[in-house]
Amino acid sequence: MKIQTAYFGEVEIDPSKILNFEYGIPGFEEEKEFVLLPIEENDIFQVLQSVQTEGLAFSVTNPYSITTDYSFDLEEATVHALHIKEENEVAVFAIVSLKETLALSTINLKAPIVLNTTNNKAKQVILNREEYTIRHLISSESAKG
Amino acid sequence: MLVLSRKAGETIWIGEDIEIVISEVKGEQVKIAIKAPRSIDIIRGELRQDVSASNSESVITNLDLFKNKL
Repeated sequence: MKIQTAYFGEVEIDPSKILNFEYGIPGFEEEKEFVLLPIEENDIFQVLQSVQTEGLAFSVTNPYSITTDYSFDLEEATVHALHIKEENEVAVFAIVSLKETLALSTINLKAPIVLNTTNNKAKQVILNREEYTIRHLISSESAKG
Repeated sequence: MLVLSRKAGETIWIGEDIEIVISEVKGEQVKIAIKAPRSIDIIRGELRQDVSASNSESVITNLDLFKNKL
């Protein structure tokens, strides 16, 4: 199927690759379907594009590409909602808020997107962990080396 | 929205398996105990609100950052 995207024009997508967010994400509760699109010549970031709303796209990354020190236990509610049966079917993404430079950009480590790669059910979970923040400066990681 | 008045020690049931207990009322603060199945997410409103605000801020307005790097 073809969808209109914010930055890549009309894109042909495989319907089986659509990620289903049953309750949307906070602030965008009506947005139930997204697809991950690659950014040319960039392996770290991807675009999470709404299927129904052309102008709605987020940049996401594997949080482990930004910080190695990141882990959390999946809540029972998440396992239940996404019908997760095995740990190895889980993928995690974090939303990046792009600013003028990457160093000024922030990553939301407090509310990662958890995806069940078997059934493409996804959910933005909110972690009950004080050490992870919603607006974690990406430059604070590069400073750590 | 349904509004109920409750006193400390009183409860509210939502459906068959969620019980809300008003455990303490002290000045401006109310302590609420919630008994719910583990399959239910319970999140403080201001935290969800902040995630919502952050999501709104994160909508991409341009991809120049990546173009400039190439």
